Amino acid sequence: MGGVLAFEVSRPVVLGVVQGAGVGLMAIGLVLIYKSSRIFNFAAGEFATVGAFGAYLMKSFMPFFFAAILGVLAALVTGLVTERLVIRPLANRPRVTLLVATAAVAIFVIAFQFLAGAQGKLFAAKAIIRGNAFRTFGVFVSWQELVIVVVLAGAGVGLAWFFGATDLGLATLATSQEPTAARLMGIRLNRVAMLTWGLAGALGGVAGVLLPPLTQNFTPAFGTTDLLIPAFTAAVLGGMTSVPGAFVGGLVLGLVQNLAQFNVSSNTLPGAPAVAVLVVLVLVLAVRPTGILGKEA
Amino acid sequence: MARTLERPAGGAPVPPHPAVVRLPERGFRPTAAGWAARAAAVVVPLIVGVWYVEANAQVRSDALATAAVIAIGALSLNVLVGYTGQISLGHQAFIGIGAFTSAYIISESHQPFLVGVLVALLVGAVQAVVLGLIALRVRGLYFALVTLAWGKVAEQCLFRLKSLTRGGAGAQAPRPSGFTTDRAYLLVCLVGLALILLVDWRLVATKAGRAMQALRESPQVAANYGVDVKGYTLYAFAVSGAYAGVAGALFASRRLTVQSGDFDFAGIALTYLIVTVVGGLRRRGGIVAFSLLYVLGGEYLPDLARAIGVHTIEVNAGYYIQAFSAVLAIFTLIFQPDGLGTITAPIGRWLRGERFQLAHGGGALGRGGGGDARP
Repeated sequence: MGGVLAFEVSRPVVLGVVQGAGVGLMAIGLVLIYKSSRIFNFAAGEFATVGAFGAYLMKSFMPFFFAAILGVLAALVTGLVTERLVIRPLANRPRVTLLVATAAVAIFVIAFQFLAGAQGKLFAAKAIIRGNAFRTFGVFVSWQELVIVVVLAGAGVGLAWFFGATDLGLATLATSQEPTAARLMGIRLNRVAMLTWGLAGALGGVAGVLLPPLTQNFTPAFGTTDLLIPAFTAAVLGGMTSVPGAFVGGLVLGLVQNLAQFNVSSNTLPGAPAVAVLVVLVLVLAVRPTGILGKEA
Repeated sequence: MARTLERPAGGAPVPPHPAVVRLPERGFRPTAAGWAARAAAVVVPLIVGVWYVEANAQVRSDALATAAVIAIGALSLNVLVGYTGQISLGHQAFIGIGAFTSAYIISESHQPFLVGVLVALLVGAVQAVVLGLIALRVRGLYFALVTLAWGKVAEQCLFRLKSLTRGGAGAQAPRPSGFTTDRAYLLVCLVGLALILLVDWRLVATKAGRAMQALRESPQVAANYGVDVKGYTLYAFAVSGAYAGVAGALFASRRLTVQSGDFDFAGIALTYLIVTVVGGLRRRGGIVAFSLLYVLGGEYLPDLARAIGVHTIEVNAGYYIQAFSAVLAIFTLIFQPDGLGTITAPIGRWLRGERFQLAHGGGALGRGGGGDARP
């Protein structure tokens, strides 16, 4: 009994932390875009899908590690192309217009996958490092899961350092607060936008390459259908402008989803994780709209 | 169509919206030949349309019924995005709830089709108002997230509750007796679309319509002019939900069975949003026209692609139009915020006896409605 109980709790907790790390990676990408340009990037999910497909298509030609890097590069390019073709021409429009535009990017990428014949299929995902790393609380933790947590921590620390300690990070923040003044100070706005969108694309791509192996395979458009809403909720929970907040928010969302998944039978309430995410989102927005670590109002 | 704001929201700092304030030109009357040309412009497409359907009634009337359903759904989204400046990314929930409600009423409660539609309309309005209550607290982009999550909950939870939707097997939604053939059912859908268009036209022309548009420009200014912000926000949600309920009911009976998988985010919510944007926000004619083009594109773009040597598997060919419309939507946002309305609105004015003149439209998504601030 005790063992069963421990498993009921420990399994979702470990899985939740790992998947939460993936959600956190995407959330950091969303925060990056929001922090630098006040845009809600609905194309973020498809950055992840592009990364996953890039790695999938390339893996038969080369070792998987290099295929994964190419996948991340593909996502990075997608981010850059989105910035150049969609975001830049619309830069001075209302934010709602930009939201619709990024949603249009998402549906274009989704429709493209379906056109290529991906609809309704499952694609096998490969782990960067196979095998289990260690066993804790009766749960095996794989190398892949360890990699995800390490990458999230690295990305979080790296971005916090970027915004907090580098001139370029400061320039990015200045651009979001006062574009005209920033330009007069010699900051090249287009360069900053390219940097943030490229980085956001790469972060999404990393999430897309690392996450699918946890469930063995992925479906087309999984970034938008499965990851986008938890990632946004994590970012909002963290305060939308806070990199550490998105990090923590991602972990919380992973836990919430997995606890809901494991503890609510799908006969009583199907789709419990989705319900849990909505509840968290509405609660955060109603009770503490600035999030747990948000500073800017 | 007097769309002048009774009390222009914004006053001095915000100049009157060019798309809202449009004084009719005085002293112009078309000649007899002009009226004849206008009559021909109405009658000839109608004849061509009937001929087109009759040539292959089975397939084509079903396709046109789909277009009518998409048009109603997009008009529902237009009430929120176009008139009120709220954004909904969870319209699969709106449409799906209408569809399952109607199916339940018709096949489980054994009520006539019309009762199913009416109950779907009511339930659609109620669920939208509940969402609207959240919109009162959470504005702009953050509210968009709530609608997104709500759509997902509907998709994964609500529509899979076996007691309501029969689970994966799907709920039966028979057509009204006497209208069981595709051709007859097309008439039902067209009547539904016509009624919605009529309601929408009157809605915009009334005090409530002007109040909603004032809310889009700026809720604060509207409140200062005595517009009941809460009341009219909820009113807009109720109207949008009611349209979506009707769209859902017609959707259900067109398919005869509805399953939870029919209402996915990419297929319904994003598609309808894009149809609304490309058709043109606040441009009924444009929205209906693009709904038609969307369905026709789904039908003929694969042939066109084959003709120019692009090949894909037959079952996936329907996605050409989705990809193409997404690109069109981005172009619309960048270059032509009024979408197809840029063309349809002058044609509409011309048909009503004015000079043909391409008007310069206003911004698409409302200037005040940036919704960037924290809720």
